[in-house]
Amino acid sequence: MHYDLIVIGMGLSGLMAAKTAAESGQRVLIVGKGMGSLVLFSNTIDVLGLPPLTGPKTMKMRDSLSQWIKEHPKHPYSQVGLEKIEEAFSSFLSLFPPPYSFQTIANMNCLLPTGAGTLRPTYLIPMTMIGGVSANGGNTLIIGFKGFKDFYTHYVADQLKYRGITLSFPDVLHQDMTATALARLMEKKSFRENIGWEIKKQLHGESRVGFPALLGMHDPILVKEDLEEIVGAKVFEIPILPPSIPGMRIFNRFKEWLIQKGVTFLLGYSVSKATLKGKRCERIEVRHPPVITSYSADRYILATGRFIGGGLKANDEKIFEPIFNLPLSQPPSREGWFRNSFFSDLPHPIYQSGILIDSSFRPVDEREELILENVRVAGSILAHHHSIDEKSREGIEISTGYWAAKRALGV
Amino acid sequence: MKIQTDVLIIGGGATGVGISRDLALRGIPSVLIEKGDFASGASGRNHGLFHSGGRYAVSDPEAARECIAENRILRKIAPHCIEETDGLFVSLPEDGLDFRDKFLRACEEVGIQTTLLARDEALELEPELNPNLLSAVKVPDGAMDPFTLVIENAKDAEEHGAKILLHTEINSLILDGDKVRGAKVKDLYQGEEYIVEASYIINATGAWANQFLKLAGLHIGMALSKGSMLITNQRLNHSVINRCRPPSDGDIIVPNHTVSILGTTSIRLEEVENFEVTPHEVSLLIQETSKMIPTIQEARFIRAYAGIRPLFQSEEKGNDRAISRGFVLIDHGKRNGIKNLITITGGKLMTYRLMAEKTSDLICKKMGRDGSCSTHLKPLPGATRPTGLKERLKQFSKDRGEILCDCELVQRKEIEEVFGAEKLKDLQDILHRTRLSKGTCQGGFCVYRLLGVLHDLRMAEGDSNKILKGFLEERWKGLRPILWGTALKEEELIESIYKGIFNL
Repeated sequence: MHYDLIVIGMGLSGLMAAKTAAESGQRVLIVGKGMGSLVLFSNTIDVLGLPPLTGPKTMKMRDSLSQWIKEHPKHPYSQVGLEKIEEAFSSFLSLFPPPYSFQTIANMNCLLPTGAGTLRPTYLIPMTMIGGVSANGGNTLIIGFKGFKDFYTHYVADQLKYRGITLSFPDVLHQDMTATALARLMEKKSFRENIGWEIKKQLHGESRVGFPALLGMHDPILVKEDLEEIVGAKVFEIPILPPSIPGMRIFNRFKEWLIQKGVTFLLGYSVSKATLKGKRCERIEVRHPPVITSYSADRYILATGRFIGGGLKANDEKIFEPIFNLPLSQPPSREGWFRNSFFSDLPHPIYQSGILIDSSFRPVDEREELILENVRVAGSILAHHHSIDEKSREGIEISTGYWAAKRALGV
Repeated sequence: MKIQTDVLIIGGGATGVGISRDLALRGIPSVLIEKGDFASGASGRNHGLFHSGGRYAVSDPEAARECIAENRILRKIAPHCIEETDGLFVSLPEDGLDFRDKFLRACEEVGIQTTLLARDEALELEPELNPNLLSAVKVPDGAMDPFTLVIENAKDAEEHGAKILLHTEINSLILDGDKVRGAKVKDLYQGEEYIVEASYIINATGAWANQFLKLAGLHIGMALSKGSMLITNQRLNHSVINRCRPPSDGDIIVPNHTVSILGTTSIRLEEVENFEVTPHEVSLLIQETSKMIPTIQEARFIRAYAGIRPLFQSEEKGNDRAISRGFVLIDHGKRNGIKNLITITGGKLMTYRLMAEKTSDLICKKMGRDGSCSTHLKPLPGATRPTGLKERLKQFSKDRGEILCDCELVQRKEIEEVFGAEKLKDLQDILHRTRLSKGTCQGGFCVYRLLGVLHDLRMAEGDSNKILKGFLEERWKGLRPILWGTALKEEELIESIYKGIFNL
């Protein structure tokens, strides 16, 4: 089957690329082995959260980015450019109208509590988390659930000097409750009302109540507002261990929108081979066991992520890109991949490795020689960023996904 | 505060607790001091081989004799610490059969029972073996659980009146002419300092022997040899697989519960502290052991670790593997004139009981007391406990509760029980006593959960994130050398959680 554009990878960058192409009326196929790191780690939209960008010298995000781009000419943000980053964010935000919208606090980073009782800088915040912004302060109660082993209320509360309580519901909750199961239960009105009344009984004048981020999958605002009404205090969600329910909400929203726009959506299938002719990709093979199907397109976008996503692989000697075998920027040997200390002040060199691109997001080698002319590369697979330490994961995904697609369309 | 006792034992490894139990069973009071937890040194950092003696039969018959004798004793007194797997000594084409024939003769001389297996018989027992092998010799090797062995000895010693103080360090010795009257010690958690007075002092500190002796102005000739090991994420072999050739790097694969342990290297060290496994050693171990089991090339690894062998050097040295693995018992009264100080070192985990027996005999002689050893006859307290996977699974399905460690199926209540039974000081104490964090994720998820449970139980109040970071940093030592393939994916996950989501 032939398409205008095929996106390989279903993380946030792939979804952004597919959305951008579909909006221009292109016939789009998006194929992905899984849902990417989006459903593991994304809760809010990080853009750039390194100190000193937080703390007392807080800057507007625009100024931080502008300075960052000046100081890091090879960084993906520098490849995109300041104005274009903002354009990409607007495109992302248009997909999330109220009530489940994202907003910033005065266009600056702010600090949100986490499941380890730390505070973490982030930029665009969903409405279910906005109440947790530390500057909002106030007496806070943290809620945990007995049998849910990925969140410990006292761990969080003790570190942040809040109060914590653990709720148990013997009728409904068994051992080994997962975040997804609890999120679904939260959508049952009777279930969340029971929780609300129990909290109201145990509330000691706290003005905020923090939950692990599992207040429903489809209508979290309704869950939040119902709870607020019963408890009589502000309710907010706290990011926890993967999987991420807020990440799934983002994924589901993209999926629904793309399918509605007629995009072919192939989730759960991996690309097993790409056929090249000269500097062009002619077709890809997608494995739907037991059959292998061939798809072709005029243009392709590679957004397969890093090691978790399978976009990059490593044997005991080197790192490689498995679909197109693209050249990579990487340290000379395995000895140099990681530093001796895990929490080293400097990022591990392996995270700087990745695919090099030209100004049109096409893959190039170290001598800037073009490798493939109808393939664009987007997302965390790109070289010269370390999104974990930078707290720039979603920002890089959104801006490069958007612009790789724009460039593919000749914009 | 002052404690008085007959014998002060320094070191909570297998040898130290072995002596503690032996003396207790003879009715002699003792105090044992250990600066960390039980088995923090070589006792807890080895491949867990339950020796038949085969590995030493050709090069060191005396050590081989000790091994096979202890092998028979430990099967009786500590069956719950041993998996009786047997072992194979495999000859590959490049090894030829000369060494095998020498090996068979040597085993016969020291009394190790052998069965010669043809290629096909060996492959039937161990299907993952290199199909080109020439032959294999079966010996009564096995796999053992060193930590349980040490804990069980300690428990029995305490039940018979011995005193054991963990996380307690020696600051100085109280010297009085040709005697050591006692030691000034410090409780590392409470910060309290006090004196332990004793008539006799035993240095059972293994690789740390000279660090201790320095306090008395003494020194013995010892070589420190680092041995590195690698753990696979699944068990590849039923029985222990040895290479049938003179001992060398990467010549042994020991099964252990659900994993296999590849060993070892031998690298001379000058210092006891700060040793790590290098990526080069990992590559060497994979290259060599995969000659015996080829699928190791594709295996996923969960951790690399190293231990230090304390090898006693009487005078001249050469290759560390050629130095005897036999033990040495030094009466410093005869050697340097300090009458009541004894050092026991060298040797190996397998002969810990014999080392304890000989040391206790010497103590009795010096004290002029009767009292004979009974540790070879009296089973350890848990010896009747059901063991084996079948029993554990039965127990597990009977009363399943909330699970904290998904890799090793450690339940929350197990942690609560460990807390009820002992006074534990830190995170590593808990990790030592359960399987938590021993599986594929190496504590990447469950240690956070464990700290969460401690907060729930109101047993942790301080900065748990500092403890969590300390754990992740320690974990890193074992992971850094093995990060490629699937393990690298897992590492990206862990970094994304702790540095990303949790912003530690």
